[in-house]
Amino acid sequence: MRFWLVVLVFLTSLSLQHSFAEALSDEAHQIIEEMEKLYRGDASRATITMTVVTPRNERRLRMSAESLGQEYALYRILAPKKEEGIATLKREKEMWNYFPKINKVIKVPPSMMMGSWMGSDVTNDDLLRETELVDAYDLSLETTEDQYRITLVPKEDTVTVWGRIDYMVDRHAMLPVEQVFFDERGRKIRRMEFSDVKEFEGKRLPSILKVIPLNKEGHETVVEYEQLDFDATDVTKDLFTRRNLTSRF
Amino acid sequence: MLFKLAFRNIFRQRRRSLLTGLSMTGGFVLCTFSFSITQGSYGNAIEFFTLDHTGHIQIHWEDYEQRPKIYKTIADRDAVESILEKSDEVKAYAPRVFAPALAYAGNQTSPVSVIGIDAELEPTTSRIKQKVRSGEYFNEALTRNGFAKAMIGAGVANRLNIGLGDEIVLISQGADGSIANDIFEVVALVGTKDSYDRSSVYLPLVAAQEFISVGDQVHEYAMLVDHANSSEVIAASLQLQLDGVTPGATVSPWQVVEEAFYKSMQADLQGNYFAMAIIVFLVCIGVLNTVLMSVLERTKEFGVLRAIGSRPAQVFKLIFVETMLMATLSIALGYLLLIPLLTFLTQVGFVLPEPMEMGGVPFLHLKGGVNALVLTAPALIIYAFAALVTILPGIRAVSITPKTAMSSH
Repeated sequence: MRFWLVVLVFLTSLSLQHSFAEALSDEAHQIIEEMEKLYRGDASRATITMTVVTPRNERRLRMSAESLGQEYALYRILAPKKEEGIATLKREKEMWNYFPKINKVIKVPPSMMMGSWMGSDVTNDDLLRETELVDAYDLSLETTEDQYRITLVPKEDTVTVWGRIDYMVDRHAMLPVEQVFFDERGRKIRRMEFSDVKEFEGKRLPSILKVIPLNKEGHETVVEYEQLDFDATDVTKDLFTRRNLTSRF
Repeated sequence: MLFKLAFRNIFRQRRRSLLTGLSMTGGFVLCTFSFSITQGSYGNAIEFFTLDHTGHIQIHWEDYEQRPKIYKTIADRDAVESILEKSDEVKAYAPRVFAPALAYAGNQTSPVSVIGIDAELEPTTSRIKQKVRSGEYFNEALTRNGFAKAMIGAGVANRLNIGLGDEIVLISQGADGSIANDIFEVVALVGTKDSYDRSSVYLPLVAAQEFISVGDQVHEYAMLVDHANSSEVIAASLQLQLDGVTPGATVSPWQVVEEAFYKSMQADLQGNYFAMAIIVFLVCIGVLNTVLMSVLERTKEFGVLRAIGSRPAQVFKLIFVETMLMATLSIALGYLLLIPLLTFLTQVGFVLPEPMEMGGVPFLHLKGGVNALVLTAPALIIYAFAALVTILPGIRAVSITPKTAMSSH
């Protein structure tokens, strides 16, 4: 009898523990999903300035970005003159770059996913967002006074780009603060900082995203949202075609 | 009197003198021949790549030479060029930019190396103009279709299946990180499928600078100097001058630029010196043998000379003068024989059964070279050895008493 009692207590505590962990993970899951949705919306249109800083120079690109859900996106460089019209189309799991000067569409192969996008510290993978964070990573949550700190570790058997991601979220504003990316050997590779919260069409969002590679001293890329429109009703699926990629606008 | 005697002695025994002389001539020719081959094979190779593309001296920014990065450019071109203009040694110079790129034409792609050259200055420094196989040497002007001109290597033309008048699309990364992409029109084909620039695409300097976004900066200055042999000294002096105006610019003579070649050449030369030493040694033994024989055979004669009152020093001098006269005649004959031989060696050369490659430079012919060293060193060696060789029999002829000398057979 006594024995069974012990077993019972043990089992209860085990299941409690389990569900507790599950609950935490679920919460983390929710938070991450919320964060990921922030910039995306259903159909969005944005004007972005990207500043690429290297120890030697600074390059500023102005571009337009249109996206539909997670599957479709089209980026187009508006300035400077030299790079005007260069565009990137993401459709489902594929990605192409278009160079108007030579009138050529070049597919970005999977091997180039970690490659730089247009010479910035933003990778093609960042743009493509091929990997759904909550699907590919196991999450664990830690709550501090004003932050959620979520640690993402790749699930077994999934191929991911990063070895670990630390995701910091402001608890009160429910906005991302910082992400730290590690490689499979646990070395910090880069940091992404979110700042300058602004209101875009009634939605408060950090307007500046700073990508700082930690293995390249003096390099950083600052992405600033000038405009962000979350219900661009004219952004529909037929915008994201190869023909549109190459058309002058 | 002494010379007369020596002459008479030489011509008295014609057959013996001829043999001795011929063996010395043979040694001399052999020696000069091997000197010429050693000098020539490298001389030709060095001339080949210094004039083809390396130049005698190059200037880069910092360690661009070892670790080429597109942003390591020479910014203060005026400072560099004014020093090069002022230098008495620098005969010609040319600025260049480089970038790796991907070339497209139709459905074909090929990795290429883009070389931006000053259309005016480059031909003064390298053989680029002579290497144009078909088409016309380019300039900065745009083509009728509004594209910048390009000259492509044979390998590029082959892989992309393009020719004169075709478009070639180049994609690369600019110095500022931007994607360099542009269309160029092929106006000339350069070199052969084996030449150094088989996968090069030459662009006019300004077009190339625009393409890779380096402003008006360049990656390299290549130059020719008046005295190629003193490249290292001139490079050091240029380095000193540049350090004063634009620290960071690095001057390297071709010995540094073509380090792989230079090192293998040095190693090979070491081996050659050994082989040469053996040849020289054999030649010397031959000379020693003949001189010794001709002196010893005449022991009796020297005994008579002593007996009729010649002083030992006079006898010694006679032997010495005789041998040197012999050497002079042999060498003179040797030079006569060498004229056609060296002409053949330097102008035609032996065809190697299999082309030999050294540091990326192919050798098809084994050619000789002619310079002061080749022409004088073997003669001096023969003279020195002939002189050395007379000492021993000379001393013997001098120290022997007339009686024993005359009674010897």
